[in-house]
Amino acid sequence: MNFSPLDWTVLIGTLTIIIIYGVYRSRTSKNLDGYFLGDRQMPWYVVLLSVMGTQASAITFLTAPGQAYTDGMRFVQYYFGLPIAMIIICVSFVPIYRRLKCYTAYEYLETRFDAKTRAFTAFLFLVSRALSTGISIMAPSLVLHSMLGWDLAVTNTFMGGLVIIYTIAGGSKAVAYTQTLQFIIIYTGMFLAGYWALSHLPEGVGLSDALHISGKSGKANVITTGVTENGFDWKDRYNIFSGIIGGLFLGLSYFGADQSQVGRYLTARTEKESKLGLIMNGFLKVPLQFGIMLIGLLVFAFYQYHQQPAFFNLAQEEKVKNSMYASEYASATEKYEQLQKEKQQTVASLTEALERKDQAAIESLGAQLKTQESATKEMRLQIRSIVQKAIPNEDVNDNNYIFLRFVGDFLPNGLVGLIIAIIFLASWGSIAAAINSLSSSTMVDFHIKFARKKLTPLQEYRWSKLYTFFWAIVCIITAQYADNIGNSLIEAVNILGSLFYGPILGIFLVAFYLKWIKGHSVFIGALLAEAVVLTVYFMDIISFLWLNVIGAAAVVLFGMTIQVFMPKEQKA
Amino acid sequence: MLHNDPEKVPLFRKWSHWYWLILAFLCLLIVLFYLFTKRFS
Repeated sequence: MNFSPLDWTVLIGTLTIIIIYGVYRSRTSKNLDGYFLGDRQMPWYVVLLSVMGTQASAITFLTAPGQAYTDGMRFVQYYFGLPIAMIIICVSFVPIYRRLKCYTAYEYLETRFDAKTRAFTAFLFLVSRALSTGISIMAPSLVLHSMLGWDLAVTNTFMGGLVIIYTIAGGSKAVAYTQTLQFIIIYTGMFLAGYWALSHLPEGVGLSDALHISGKSGKANVITTGVTENGFDWKDRYNIFSGIIGGLFLGLSYFGADQSQVGRYLTARTEKESKLGLIMNGFLKVPLQFGIMLIGLLVFAFYQYHQQPAFFNLAQEEKVKNSMYASEYASATEKYEQLQKEKQQTVASLTEALERKDQAAIESLGAQLKTQESATKEMRLQIRSIVQKAIPNEDVNDNNYIFLRFVGDFLPNGLVGLIIAIIFLASWGSIAAAINSLSSSTMVDFHIKFARKKLTPLQEYRWSKLYTFFWAIVCIITAQYADNIGNSLIEAVNILGSLFYGPILGIFLVAFYLKWIKGHSVFIGALLAEAVVLTVYFMDIISFLWLNVIGAAAVVLFGMTIQVFMPKEQKA
Repeated sequence: MLHNDPEKVPLFRKWSHWYWLILAFLCLLIVLFYLFTKRFS
């Protein structure tokens, strides 16, 4: 992949602007309110962009277009529960956090239950968030390493290291304001990439034709039910039911009980502005995600008129070409290219039929294209299995490389640099919020809580900076080791979250809605629920989104049962 | 410094109106996505 001097200029220039802007925006009061909550001065639109910037990591922008390219648009359904979660959080969570003037979500659990439930939940958060942040640093670094040949350890260090500068200096305020600027740059760049793909389709082929071509290949499947001839498929990951129900529980847990998000909307000036930021997130998230996925669909349409790579990961392709499987790989890619030529002829005929509005031809060519797309998928799996034989210890799923390969092969100089900058910025947005929240939970839920000596506000401020630095280093080290396991870890971020989110959410649901259940019961219930979630996960009988529902429901059920049967003297 | 939260809800009289609007918007999106799926598949 060619990375020109102009691309370097755009990349370095964009990253430098963000760092300078972050440091410029870093003036806060030297106490916990200033450092972790930006003096509670943020307007609703900064809260909104900060919440969105925290959720959308680099993985979002790399994976989503690739997901649309291979599996179609149905991944959008994953976000259907989010708007409903925003409503519940505005009604139940925000007023309590604001009234108690909490720094972290877990403080409330001590008020409601006891110190051990607070410490246990905060501990679960620290472990899961630190691991997933390490992976969030490593995953995009690995993609850049494979596509641009950059040294992985150095890329990891830059990905996780530069963000420390403004996160330590300015805490939540710097995080929120840089996320605002990052958001504008990211969506501008993604829009330009989508527009470029659309404008370089053959003459006479417009957006509607591109969508028809993609749709006839089975990619326009935004709404799916997960129902097969054997009934509902519980292992089907993305359908309208898992999206609304599983997505609701995931959204509630992530936005209501994960400090990396709670810390964002607690920075708002007033409760009204916290709520407004979350409500607008409920309006915007699904359409924006649809827009990102649509870029994948346009890239797919673009490749129907251009040579489509058989395998998208350049570094792994090179390894296969230098292995004993080189001839087998060459013969398979030759067959693949032949299949692509036949497919291109069908696409050309279908484009003409669409222009003529010849319904019969559209139907028949559409069916033919669908068959050819199935054969293409089959062929790509065969090619992937050859790559796997050549490099048995690596993950050969190349979905995350599709968008970047398109960027490197076709986009003009300058725009390539901007897209790489976007990967850094998207990463920084989520990493900055994560290390800020890890620091706030360590400081507030453990250090201040268990310290023998009361600290002055200035000492608390200095310790908070130190913890921010500490967690950044922990996350970078995790990223360096995570590399050994491969990019299947990208998926592991979501699965890892689902292992812990359910029980954490269950604790909060009991806290808010079942006032008669006390600390002992919910604590034991949460331990049992975690065991249930891990058992179900290892049995591999259900898609990971449902683990959030199971974990939360298990805490509620165990908590109720234990409370009912607990001896009277322990019920309080 | 925590400001006193003015109770006035932006644009509407009650927060519940905002919540109904989000739900209505989500339903509208799902219908539009369904039509998108039907039209282009």
